[in-house]
Amino acid sequence: MKTEVFDRLMAAQVNRRTMLKGAAGAGAIATATAAGLGGITRSASAQGNIRPEMLRIPGVGVGSPTDRDWQKVGALTLDATKKNVASGEFAGVELTFLGLNNQNLHNFLFRGFLKPWEAYTGAKINWIDLAQADYNARLQQSIATSTVDFDIIEMGAPFEGDVLGKGLASEMPAWARDQIDMDDYVDYLKAPVGTWGGKTYRVSIDGDCHNFNYRTDYFENEEFAAAWKAEGNEGPWEVPKTWQKVQAVTKFLKGKKFGRFDANGYLDPLKGWGGFGFYFLGSRATAYAKHPDDKDWLFDADTMKPRINNPAWVRAIQDVLDVLDAQPADQINADPGTTGFQQFLAGTGSMLSWWGDIGSNAKTSDSSVVGDDVAFSILPGSDDVYNAKTGKWDTLASGPNYAPNMAYIGWGIYVMARVDSDAKKKKAAWSAAAHVGGKDISLWTAAYPSGFQPYRSSHFDIPEWVGAGYDGDFISNYLASQLDSYNHPNAAIEPRIPGIFQYYSVAEDELAKIYAGKYSSAQEGADRIAAAWDKITDQIGRKGQIELYKASQGA
Amino acid sequence: MAATGQSEGDQLHTVVSDHMSPRRILTGRLLIRFATLVLFAMAIVQALHQSGRISLGFENWRPVLYAYLFWAVAMGVSQVLIRGEQGKRALFVLPAALFVGSMVIFPLLFGLYISFTDWNLASPTGPKFNGLDNVRQMLGDPFYWNALKNMVYYVLAISVEYAIAFGLALLLNAEIRARKFFRVAFLLPLMLSPVAVSWMVGKSMLEIRFGPVASLARFLGWDSPSFFGTPEIARLTIMVMDAWTFIPFMMIMLLAGLQALPKDVLEAAKIDGAKAWQSFWQVIFPLMLPVSITAVIIRIIFKLKLADIIINVTSGGPGGATDSVTSFIFREYRDRSNVGYGTLLAMVYLVVIVIFVTTLLSVVNRWMRGVNEGRTG
Repeated sequence: MKTEVFDRLMAAQVNRRTMLKGAAGAGAIATATAAGLGGITRSASAQGNIRPEMLRIPGVGVGSPTDRDWQKVGALTLDATKKNVASGEFAGVELTFLGLNNQNLHNFLFRGFLKPWEAYTGAKINWIDLAQADYNARLQQSIATSTVDFDIIEMGAPFEGDVLGKGLASEMPAWARDQIDMDDYVDYLKAPVGTWGGKTYRVSIDGDCHNFNYRTDYFENEEFAAAWKAEGNEGPWEVPKTWQKVQAVTKFLKGKKFGRFDANGYLDPLKGWGGFGFYFLGSRATAYAKHPDDKDWLFDADTMKPRINNPAWVRAIQDVLDVLDAQPADQINADPGTTGFQQFLAGTGSMLSWWGDIGSNAKTSDSSVVGDDVAFSILPGSDDVYNAKTGKWDTLASGPNYAPNMAYIGWGIYVMARVDSDAKKKKAAWSAAAHVGGKDISLWTAAYPSGFQPYRSSHFDIPEWVGAGYDGDFISNYLASQLDSYNHPNAAIEPRIPGIFQYYSVAEDELAKIYAGKYSSAQEGADRIAAAWDKITDQIGRKGQIELYKASQGA
Repeated sequence: MAATGQSEGDQLHTVVSDHMSPRRILTGRLLIRFATLVLFAMAIVQALHQSGRISLGFENWRPVLYAYLFWAVAMGVSQVLIRGEQGKRALFVLPAALFVGSMVIFPLLFGLYISFTDWNLASPTGPKFNGLDNVRQMLGDPFYWNALKNMVYYVLAISVEYAIAFGLALLLNAEIRARKFFRVAFLLPLMLSPVAVSWMVGKSMLEIRFGPVASLARFLGWDSPSFFGTPEIARLTIMVMDAWTFIPFMMIMLLAGLQALPKDVLEAAKIDGAKAWQSFWQVIFPLMLPVSITAVIIRIIFKLKLADIIINVTSGGPGGATDSVTSFIFREYRDRSNVGYGTLLAMVYLVVIVIFVTTLLSVVNRWMRGVNEGRTG
């Protein structure tokens, strides 16, 4: 769970005086504070199900977990390791683990989780902590200069092309796969994500997707409903299910007042965000561009020809241009962070695409004025979808085309190929990765501040969360917003090819010019992006990119 | 005569008689030749190995670095062996010379090589020489030319900054109340990191919903204040933020200049009946020209590096209106790992800066000479 989400959830629950409502919550705290490490392990073993007990470390509502708690969780979940590794089996082995230090989480948690593992196995882990901003450059430089100096890495799936595609990672052994129970992953995190050329490399520890966040108070407003009808708009005044309706609502709200403030419809972050801003155009485009019969939506896998200038993407860009004048003032200088946290949460705008964080924060953040007037769903669909193979727009018999944008795909743990030459070291590295990405430990990272979101089917068992002390309605609402996207059959999963963020970064520059009116049309701007993308592809190597793209699709 | 004098001079500083046997000189020569041979042989072998032409070689270039260090030490030792006392003197300079060669000249030459390659860190094949492709790409790159054009605007803005800084310096040089307090207070912005300025001013005070500046603008009748909404206003806002940070720098230099002005000249002007404006324009300003030019040129050099505020506040937008060359190169490097092209852009920018500053200094020198000759004539 992301820190801010946890903090807000906790704040909200304390505010609502619901924190200690359940006997389970009170019992949890009593247990957690009374029991030492050994006590918990014994108790868990006696019960045979460590999950309820683990979720009570440190206990919901008693503050953020500390290193002591992380070590407790690491010790409690060590049984899975013990089935595959004998005590002291890795004595003398030293491993280097490269990961992030965002918000004092990520590597900080891994250290705690792995301390009992180190004590049991006899291995020693050295740590390389990186700030998020330095991560990409450090990784790319290590790869490019053949100076990979780490054995285990925490890495996002978009970088798989850079690492797996170049044969730098170690294939996951079967015993590790069994230990982490990969069948429990939500559908979209299953192969081909984490795999390359049919081989599995990734221990998932996170999931990501864009959701559609909307203001219920806007769509329950009777004055808007009457005006909508009076102005002759099609259909009832309701939450848009398609981008066509999103556009109509956004144009309808232009110039209107909602209470004392200007009413705004859908918010488009128009400023770049180090490549991450491109995901937001992607969320507008996937319903147009991701055909259910076609895996590709960003490039043609056979040629790496960009699709960014095809009619589907141009339509998405044009949609943004069509509602530019309906956006809040200065939106041209608003990046996704500003749009989400300083605008939507502060009451500006009625619709927004973002990762799961916004929904939870909207419910609980002290700086949020939207309170309980927010709800979420999967991204809107489209009445028609572009078929890149026929060059025509198809209307599906099943209704609107939905294609949730699985933006970034989440973090994972990977073992580097440099351990392969040493069987003992390889087993140690995979054992450490499997411990950190284990099924039980992952429930704890989903429930407490860790930097990671739920990503396994077993994470969506509401009674487990309620048993830990969470408010049932609240957590149901929070989790449901993600599950529908994760398991969607037509989810748009980005290509895991080398340099994918280079494509996004260049696109951001060109999109900024399109939005600033520097080009005569959306098509001209899109053609510029396509030309820049072709240049990157040629620079990195078209043939290689095609092979890697297909490999990333499991071909 | 001169040679004798030199020799005598040397003798004066020679503590020990310096007898160098032919054998010692030969040893020194052999040592440096051997070290040079080892260095070149290892470098050539490693280069051939890296290019895949021979299998013999090292895993990386580190052994060649060790060979270079060995060569550097051998160079120092051989100087002493061959040249005796003169060689010992050379040892005082040699480390610095080698350091400059290693840390400045070699990286510059290596950068020059990189700038003519297609090196993208994501490319599995590594850097490959691509001739003038990067130059051609630069010539047709609207983002780079747009950034250069913006730099012209940014540099021109220094004239306004200079005028304000001069005004403030005059004010602080006058006998005003709380002069010391104002001197410190006016310096405060200079003590702030531009990144802090970006967040405190650009992202907080100028925030259009709750920022105090936006609230003030609304209070003054600007319905929808937007400080980065249009290209012109965004560029102006960046200029103002940068100026706010660096005007104190120019101001303090000018203030120091004002305080160093000869009092007798100013008093003479006053006795001659010069009014305040005449005194400023015909006495103070000309006398301050050398300091002014130094302040402006240093400010120009600072300005040419402008990037942090832009990166943090606008990312070069809207539509490239605020992009500086450095902020654009930063994106090319950091976000796109485009090392070859990014290096070429930086190299070209370096050349442009060197030409610009050299020309500027030359023009200023000529102009100053003209002013001085006019004054004496």
